Amino acid sequence: MTALLEVQGLKTCFKVEGGEFTAVDGVSFSVQAGRTLGIVGESGCGKSVTSLSIMGLLPKGQGRLAAGSIRFDGVDLATLSAPEMRALRGNRLAMIFQEPMTSLNPAFTIGNQLIEGIRCHRDLSYTQAREHAIEMLRRVRIPSPERRIDEYPHKLSGGMRQRVMIAMALSCEPSLLIADEPTTALDVTIQAQVLDLMRTLRAETGTAIILITHDLGVIAELADDVVVMYAGRIVERASVARLFAQPQHPYTIGLLGSIPKLHLEQHRLAAIEGQVPTPMSQVPGCRFAPRCPFADARCRTSEPTLTDLGDGHEAACWQAPLNPLTEPLT
Amino acid sequence: MNTSVAAPLLRVENLVKHFSIQKSFFQRDTAVVHAVDGLDFELAAGQTMALVGESGCGKSTVGRLVLRLLEATSGKVWFDGEDLMSLGSKQMRARRRELQMIFQDPYSSLNPRMTVEQTLTEPLALHGLARGRHRERAAELLDLVGLARQYLQRYPHEFSGGQRQRIGIARALAVEPRLIVCDEPVSALDVSIQAQVVNLLQDLQRQLGLSYIFIAHDLAVVKHISSHVAVMYLGQMVEYADKQSLFAQPRHPYTQALLSAIPLPEPGLQRKRILLQGDVPNPINPPSGCRFRTRCPYARERCAQEVPTLTGADGHRVACHFWQEIAVPAASLPAANLLPPNLRLQKLQAAFAPAGAAVVP
Repeated sequence: MTALLEVQGLKTCFKVEGGEFTAVDGVSFSVQAGRTLGIVGESGCGKSVTSLSIMGLLPKGQGRLAAGSIRFDGVDLATLSAPEMRALRGNRLAMIFQEPMTSLNPAFTIGNQLIEGIRCHRDLSYTQAREHAIEMLRRVRIPSPERRIDEYPHKLSGGMRQRVMIAMALSCEPSLLIADEPTTALDVTIQAQVLDLMRTLRAETGTAIILITHDLGVIAELADDVVVMYAGRIVERASVARLFAQPQHPYTIGLLGSIPKLHLEQHRLAAIEGQVPTPMSQVPGCRFAPRCPFADARCRTSEPTLTDLGDGHEAACWQAPLNPLTEPLT
Repeated sequence: MNTSVAAPLLRVENLVKHFSIQKSFFQRDTAVVHAVDGLDFELAAGQTMALVGESGCGKSTVGRLVLRLLEATSGKVWFDGEDLMSLGSKQMRARRRELQMIFQDPYSSLNPRMTVEQTLTEPLALHGLARGRHRERAAELLDLVGLARQYLQRYPHEFSGGQRQRIGIARALAVEPRLIVCDEPVSALDVSIQAQVVNLLQDLQRQLGLSYIFIAHDLAVVKHISSHVAVMYLGQMVEYADKQSLFAQPRHPYTQALLSAIPLPEPGLQRKRILLQGDVPNPINPPSGCRFRTRCPYARERCAQEVPTLTGADGHRVACHFWQEIAVPAASLPAANLLPPNLRLQKLQAAFAPAGAAVVP
């Protein structure tokens, strides 16, 4: 089965004063039609830059694709011209951003913004497009959409705006939806509504989703497969059940230990000491080694690559698989 | 500590804060935001009370009112037997030696033009503490929050978010306070850094006997750090209990919905979810009666007419007319025994805990 999206060796660089830094360094993954891939990591790990690279939305003159290929339905997106890319974006390839407050234009009604996108990609009259827009608002459960469509974004709450964003992204039935921290700015009861909506719409439309988030709870709820990123690289990849039950990379293990569990009693959190290296700093060997309690001399000198541990579970760690129950840790 | 066990360190009585947003020609308020509307609670020395709720529920305002960074519309705040509201500004400033605050945003709560040493010694100078040994005291404070002493001469921009939050904590500790209001101290931080700061706050509490008012929206963090929890909705307290009974037996429909809405890091876990409809109403014009009734799945006629008061026994109090009839949802949180413990993971995670720290077996 060929994948809907196939990212190979993606490397994205940004210009800074006195040089360039690599935000994403050799990232490869694929998304099958109808599946949801979660990308998890902390700020600066490159998860958002990965999505902007796929969408062709890197800031002009600052960011560039330095290497790798992004094949969407067999076409390498990096080779497309700007108009070709524009025809794809918002049509078969759509994105939801984190900030529902800033990603809508405050000077236009939400109807205007929805209809503009629909008419860009579909040969519909204004009236037909407006009807389609109302239908989309209804599908994302916005009450009285006939009235709401003529309102300006400031009249809507954060949860409502995020629903409008989702309606906009789904209005042309994309085959791939990239959701970058779609619920991070929302309150928890509103987050539950939006996650529920995304789950329902996914079942109805069969859209493949790339879900980017720092929240392991959201990943557990929505994703089928997970990629964990650290300092611009993928450190672990597995199915969601496997990742949470049998994490192999020490970063994933530490990350899971860092979140307080609502359903367990813990005395102390297993915090990862130290901090993420800045993109400018050169860490020899494994980038996580300075913070890793399992690191040895080899980890500090040579960099591990993603290695298959069976059943599609991969980890970039010299120590993997870690088995403290059979062999005691030193 | 000169407080006896019986007298609480802090007692808040019927605290009210209305923000005026519109005035008539004659300077009368024509529209007010009901940010905090009649709040009562107590906090014993050495304990942590969490204030939780969603944005706009008034939890941050409460923290500011207690320290008198905002003046309350009415109500009393007793600290160690003294009514803070009756103090003059000079007396209050002296009193703030015992009441400090840690802010949410580590990027805007430090003065970018002051070195770490200046930031840490300013409160010492203000309160006339550690005379003649300011530098030494500042270095001690850095030790206390786990930062290296050579950072004293650095400026805030040279630090990461987590390090800045440690500096903010050191600044609050400089004057040896007894109560610290922590306003979302970890929500701006990354997950792994968040755990470091949570651990630090717990260590400091044990070491120095601090009391915390912990304002947060993340219930998992709250459950980890607090001893008592107050759940707020639209400026009012809807439920108050010690941590164990609140999380095991949430009685208010809002608390139940809040707990069931949190995504748990347990893929494939089946649990019943209470989905609330709609958004939080406008605090300028809150609903009559029970403020939660517009989103409550159990709302009846009486809820629109009568304001429910906090009632209950054994320190577990609920502001709901029908809480005794509403069942505790069995599946809002899975019982720990339903999930087999992951021994391998526990053992691996123990390797992350720094030496000497208490680790779950």
